[in-house]
Amino acid sequence: MSTIFPKWTNALPTLLAGGGVTGLAIVVGTIWYTFTPKFWDVGYMPKQPGGGFNHQIHAGKLGLDCRYCHTNVEVSPEANIPSVATCYGCHADGRLTKLATSEDHKAKTAFVREAYASDEPIEWRRIHKLPDYVRNFPHHSHVAAGVSCISCHGNIARQPEVWQHEPLSMGWCLECHRNPDPHLQPKDKVTRLFDIEDRQQQLGLAGLASAGAKFYEERKIHAPENCGACHY
Amino acid sequence: MSAINPDQTTAQRLAGMVPSPKPQRMEDPVTRDGSLVEDPAVRAPLVLGDRTFNDVTETVCGYIEKGPGRWWMPAFGLASGVAGLMPLMILYLITTGVGVWGLNNHVDWAWDITNFVFWIGIGHAGTLISAILCLLKQKWRTSINRAAEAMTIFAVICAGTFPGIHVGRIWMTWMLFPIPNANAIWPNFSSPLLWDVFAVSTYATVSALFWYMGMIPDFATLRDRAAIRLMRDGQDAETLPILNIRVDMIRARIYGILSMGWRFSARHWHTYEKAYLMLAGISTPLVLSVHSIVSFDFATSIVPGWHTTIFPPYFVAGAIFGGFAMVLMLLIPSRELFPGMKDLVTLRHLENMAKIILVTGFMVGFAYAMEFFVAWYGANKYEQDVFVYNRLIPPFFAVTGEDGQLKYAPYWWAYWAMISCNVISPQLFWFKWARQSPVAIFIVAFAVTIGMWFERFVIIVTSLHRAFLPSEWGMFFATPVDILTFVGSCGTFLTLYLLFVRFLPQFAMSEIKNVMPQANPHWEGYGHGHGHASHNPPASGAAPAGAHHAPDAPKEGL
Repeated sequence: MSTIFPKWTNALPTLLAGGGVTGLAIVVGTIWYTFTPKFWDVGYMPKQPGGGFNHQIHAGKLGLDCRYCHTNVEVSPEANIPSVATCYGCHADGRLTKLATSEDHKAKTAFVREAYASDEPIEWRRIHKLPDYVRNFPHHSHVAAGVSCISCHGNIARQPEVWQHEPLSMGWCLECHRNPDPHLQPKDKVTRLFDIEDRQQQLGLAGLASAGAKFYEERKIHAPENCGACHY
Repeated sequence: MSAINPDQTTAQRLAGMVPSPKPQRMEDPVTRDGSLVEDPAVRAPLVLGDRTFNDVTETVCGYIEKGPGRWWMPAFGLASGVAGLMPLMILYLITTGVGVWGLNNHVDWAWDITNFVFWIGIGHAGTLISAILCLLKQKWRTSINRAAEAMTIFAVICAGTFPGIHVGRIWMTWMLFPIPNANAIWPNFSSPLLWDVFAVSTYATVSALFWYMGMIPDFATLRDRAAIRLMRDGQDAETLPILNIRVDMIRARIYGILSMGWRFSARHWHTYEKAYLMLAGISTPLVLSVHSIVSFDFATSIVPGWHTTIFPPYFVAGAIFGGFAMVLMLLIPSRELFPGMKDLVTLRHLENMAKIILVTGFMVGFAYAMEFFVAWYGANKYEQDVFVYNRLIPPFFAVTGEDGQLKYAPYWWAYWAMISCNVISPQLFWFKWARQSPVAIFIVAFAVTIGMWFERFVIIVTSLHRAFLPSEWGMFFATPVDILTFVGSCGTFLTLYLLFVRFLPQFAMSEIKNVMPQANPHWEGYGHGHGHASHNPPASGAAPAGAHHAPDAPKEGL
């Protein structure tokens, strides 16, 4: 009735319906895209003491094996952060004679010797965090199954400063547990990240999956999907 | 506003703005109500008082436009005060934890789920009246369907709260619904608890649509009446105290939006009727499915006392039973409080509902008996124990067990409250005077409502409080929080219903007009002998003028 509503209000239902649908799409889309660890956590790269441990140089250029520092990764749920003594093993005064003998480098690594001298740990910042209701992500069983470091951490040997490469969300965990084959590698190559990269390029996803299927049988792997596997 | 445009003419005609003589109540000298005619050749009238179409409009719209009376404000204040308990208790629950309820390790469902099933069951009468009675062409539904549908919506609102708050970690309530999430997990699709979510949300949606769609023509009537009063621009027009806005302006705007541009055109009515029939068709299976699925929450478990195939029909019958009791408990006071409502909701309507209560009461009584029979016939020791030693035997009939100890059912009082309210009290309706006495009906309906609450309590708590191992035996004791949450939900229900009677049309005006004698093309006016029994008590016999219309006679009414 024109006496109650002015004529332009005829457009309102259409506008409201259109606006409602658009608004709903925006809300759903925003939540879908942003309310995820993939959006918020991937790329987390906190500032480390002393400018950080350069994995690109140590693990990449120099070819140190991951297990040289993360010694417990094959026997313990926790892939330990090395003690200062491990760093000091190389970076003691005058130990390095061939590489990195410049004054500049000495200045950069001074914090290691200081920490060693004062018997204080270096306060490395943790990057890969799981909620406390996910008990002890078992590194040892994953390494034993032949899951390479690269599957969860990316190619660390290419990262001057380490950042979180994967979302570490429950959905991401389950993605692999529901289809683990492409992530299973030859056991001798688990920590050899460049070899793994090459292998991934050569075989492609289908090749990795078929090779992994064999490993799955041989190693009698059972990737659990029940709640109690992680939440106990 | 100089010329009246066609819309206004139409509106004026249909809204019946032309005043008509005040209707008289026509009472049968014997039964005091013309709707209780016993002559099988004469259909009882569904609207009393020789009303015209305009009288119906004036009566129904008057409840909103003139207000329900002085009683409304105190009643609303009291009801909303009680309703306020509910958010307070829920806040306390959320901030403290489910330990504030009397739940324990074995009785992990108690008042919360009892209240849920109680309220969701109450809604079923509304759906039955609006859907099944519509498809079965039961004309008497027209006077009660709107109120019953409103009651359905409000009951579902109360019901839906309880599963939401009983989950403990309230911030995870969204997990009730299968929403895609970063955890890549879903609710258990093979669990009836998830089917329940679908069943109840479908039910709520369809009931709300049905209710709202039915009100659109009535909203349009209210809009047009307000608009016409605005055009008249009277000096004594009702205005809001401070804002100085005419109430009719607000009415016209709000009912105008709600009526979605309804203009009473033939095309609108055509679409409306089709949509109404379709929604009735969609709602019909819901009457059966919703409470069947609620019963699966129990029946698919292996708990003795729950694991029973009889549950779905038993729950559905119980829901209709309890729902009609609630409809009666709302309509009987309304009849007294709203002038002229006794002509629309006649004693015949009440009697029909009392008969339904009697029938469904027998159905639940049969189900109670069958539970015992099946426990005996199935030779299941645990099931027998649940029924006999958890529910049936009162302490004064305690039996000596194998170990020489006296055995009786700790929840005998709940069981016998249920039996006496649900099975015994409706037997009163065998007597005609009880079916025709609003007071008696109200008392029985009240008892039935209590009994239906106890039925759910008995099913849930007595089955859980003694598990298979005697070490798991223990009692459930309700805390004040349990009790006040339930009382608060009753207040919420009543508050919503009071708002409904204040601001929304309580009757489907067009449908009532359809069952009035005027809707019959052969009708020649009141006093022409048929179609209106109150003029023709059996003693006065056949009026000569009506004789040649005899074949048409049973057009109206039941």
